[in-house]
Amino acid sequence: MSADGAPADTAFRVADRLGGLEGPWDVFAERSRLYEIHLNGLRVEMVRGPIRLEGYGIRLLRRHGDVLGVGFQASTELSADGVARTVSEAETVARWSEFPAPKAQLPTAPGPLRTFDILDPTLERDAAGALDAYVAALRGAFEGKADAVPSFGSVKAIVAETTLANSSGVAARYVHSMVEEELAIKSFGGPEGRPPGEYWYTGSERRLRPEALPDRVEQWIRCARDARRAASPPSGNLRVVLPPEVLEAILPGVIGFKFTGAAQLRHMAPEIGTTVGPASLSVVDDGTLPWGAGTTPIDDEGTPRGSRPLITGGQVSALLYDQLHAGALGTTTTGSARRGSYFHHVPGRRYMGRVAPSSSTTVVAPGTGGTEAELIEAAGDGLWVQQIGWASPEAATTAFGGEIRLGYRIRGGKLAEPIRGGTVGGLLMAPNGGPSLFHDLEAAGSRPVLCGEVYTPALLVRSMTVAGAGSGTATAAP
Amino acid sequence: MPDLRDHEHEFQRLLRTLEPRTAFAEVFAQRREGESVSVDSKSVTAAKSPQLGGFAVRAWTGQRWIETAASAFDAGAIAATIEEIGRGLAHGDGSSPPPGPSSTTVGSHDAMPSRPVRDLGTDRLVALEREVFRWSMSVPGIVETQALADWADDERYYLNTTGSRCYQRVSRVRTGVVPIAIENGRTEINFYDSGGIGGEEILGAMTEERARQTAETAHALLTAKPPPTGPMNVVLDPGVAATFAHESFGHGTEADQFVRQRSYLQPILGQMVGPDFLTLVDDGSIPGAWGSVYFDDEGHPGQRTTLIDHGRFVGALHDRESAALLGAAPTGNTRRADFLSRAFVRMTNTLVVPGDWSLDELVREAGEGVLLERWSSGMEDPAGGQMQLKVQYGHRIEHGRLTDLVSSMALSGSVLEFLRSIRGTGPSRSFEITAGMCGKGHGDYLNVGDGGSYLLSRALVGPA
Repeated sequence: MSADGAPADTAFRVADRLGGLEGPWDVFAERSRLYEIHLNGLRVEMVRGPIRLEGYGIRLLRRHGDVLGVGFQASTELSADGVARTVSEAETVARWSEFPAPKAQLPTAPGPLRTFDILDPTLERDAAGALDAYVAALRGAFEGKADAVPSFGSVKAIVAETTLANSSGVAARYVHSMVEEELAIKSFGGPEGRPPGEYWYTGSERRLRPEALPDRVEQWIRCARDARRAASPPSGNLRVVLPPEVLEAILPGVIGFKFTGAAQLRHMAPEIGTTVGPASLSVVDDGTLPWGAGTTPIDDEGTPRGSRPLITGGQVSALLYDQLHAGALGTTTTGSARRGSYFHHVPGRRYMGRVAPSSSTTVVAPGTGGTEAELIEAAGDGLWVQQIGWASPEAATTAFGGEIRLGYRIRGGKLAEPIRGGTVGGLLMAPNGGPSLFHDLEAAGSRPVLCGEVYTPALLVRSMTVAGAGSGTATAAP
Repeated sequence: MPDLRDHEHEFQRLLRTLEPRTAFAEVFAQRREGESVSVDSKSVTAAKSPQLGGFAVRAWTGQRWIETAASAFDAGAIAATIEEIGRGLAHGDGSSPPPGPSSTTVGSHDAMPSRPVRDLGTDRLVALEREVFRWSMSVPGIVETQALADWADDERYYLNTTGSRCYQRVSRVRTGVVPIAIENGRTEINFYDSGGIGGEEILGAMTEERARQTAETAHALLTAKPPPTGPMNVVLDPGVAATFAHESFGHGTEADQFVRQRSYLQPILGQMVGPDFLTLVDDGSIPGAWGSVYFDDEGHPGQRTTLIDHGRFVGALHDRESAALLGAAPTGNTRRADFLSRAFVRMTNTLVVPGDWSLDELVREAGEGVLLERWSSGMEDPAGGQMQLKVQYGHRIEHGRLTDLVSSMALSGSVLEFLRSIRGTGPSRSFEITAGMCGKGHGDYLNVGDGGSYLLSRALVGPA
């Protein structure tokens, strides 16, 4: 069944209209339905959906001497004339583009696709109804909370049917879902007369999890309360614990480029064998992780997904390739083709993006650091950074950093007073063993959590630079 | 060339069908297409950006808005929309009107330029970017460069049941260069970009001198010192001051946040928040500016709205609903990223009006501190009133003079304290409007212009 119950198979219909078009070509298509509920406080302000989007991108590979012309055009025009126009535009583009691959080659048929947990069955059955029930549960979880309400929020659910066809015989189809949630929780009242505090949660996952709401709402409210009384952090080089929510804002933005053939082609990828962290550090790209945001049966040009160790024992062990970059670099694809940009891997809209190698779900191997409480105890004195305004990771330099929206001082091995404001940042990886998050990794927790495009435990970093206006300074232990 | 107004008959029929069941309904139709070209040392990438077309229908049930959208204009898509909206209206109170004034504006602006970049053709665009690439790569120490240009034609047509019909078509053009320097394993990048509404003339902003300067700075960053940390005097360059206007202050003036009682600015409307020489506006009516609109996506004309007038916080940005609830008028700031995205209060071009201090005077006045240059990102905090601005590099200010180049850093602190600490703004000759993309919450990225000149204040600086 398609995303809306109708026979869709968009890419196959478009492929049928290509007639005798010279290969290699591929058609990547998505047909999606999006549903949204927007809250203003606990009141439903707006209900949107179905938002129906059906579009495709045609890629053509054309050889010009020793380079390859890659023509790409995306469109929502599905008529015969519309497809013909799309092909014509792609041919024009192919004449002027150049890519240093020796062969024009696309994946061949992958055989029966493996199935993965990427589709929420409740959303597949009745997305509008499931979303309605979820929001009712969300509103219910705030009942009786005298000092906290959502100031606004939205929950979006997308069910997308992805189809892919190419001139080498690939004809693949899968259906997947994604939920995007955003909620600002305001804490107010109380005897101290402070202005309201806010915790602003955003997150995405493949399914609705109403059963998790009571605990999550309690945590969000606790964060909003703490934001009210938070003070600026001190300045200095501190031991810092970064939970999965913060790592999700840093790792994919850097690893999704730095560990790929696109970076290697431009001499910006780390050499295989380079030491980037302690022997305890291992990072895997896993496109098969159940419910992973980056999990799909095939990559976005038709190669089956797999899992690939990127850092093993602290050393760079592999990079990620799509078909074209693999060809240019004399290696084979790792099934890591993705469409869309770092900010726009949204199901339903991926067809708009060009193909490039990128990460799927970044998995940081659990360590021996134990529970988060044990990591805090090991930190002794330092900071727990709960949320950064925007970590804005810079893929080429690996620099990241931003304002601390909420955190906690760690004193005597325990979480102490909340902090807010100031900045924390640094490099994810540094040349020649210079200071960086990976190099200064002291311990990884033992309990990984799936959070957007990462599956990671909290990490204890020996030293990160913090700039705050709080009194005093602090310095990490050597 | 096809025109969205070709579908007017179908859209009007759709509205007439819904009219007996609702006090208000509207159609927003959009078509967008464009092209992007990028040249680096290994590849020339050209891609036509999506031909994206479709429409959204929004209707008022008496209690809330409901909306559907489809990426097609055919009879089947329109019939499905009528059925879906009709289902949503079945349980509502069809006679109760939505809050705020419904637009009755009728107008048309087909602002296609005399020299559209579309007409250049892919070959000429590639040739231009090859030249930009060569300019940058000619700088010693630059090992890679990405030269890029893109254009997008955006056509929008708004109709509603109160008679409004607003058509607009604009072409947005952008050009940029990203030089990369690598030495001893250390990588540094810099970038320059410029954009606006218009045609081929916008590409002229990318001169050889700009491309080379951008590349020279990237190379110099390899030996840049770490930034200073802590509270200090800061001079923002025009792009950073512009980002402050948008991210740090502007988001707090979006009045949907007032309705949610979520803006730290709401309680101080009417109060002095900065020095009397400080004026800050949102202006969607600036010809050719990146964030300008002829009409917003509720059918209200784009306009200039003063937010801070000589130091006093005097205004906010409204859609119909916030205007009704707060006793104001819509300000032409209701925008959709595209027909797939909701309409809500967004900025257009948000500007700090320039003053009369030269950069030398501001640096002298600062005495000790840092000049923040080349903005790279910003993040809003409308509830807490904190700020985050990240820049690619800067220069130390010591004894009233610019000294060492320092690497990327972030500025943070309280927006209100920053405003109160402003001691001078730069001259109009340094004023610029940048071409940015703004997300609000989780996504909904759209074109916004941010404007400013140099600005001296005090804030917390740290690594980024």
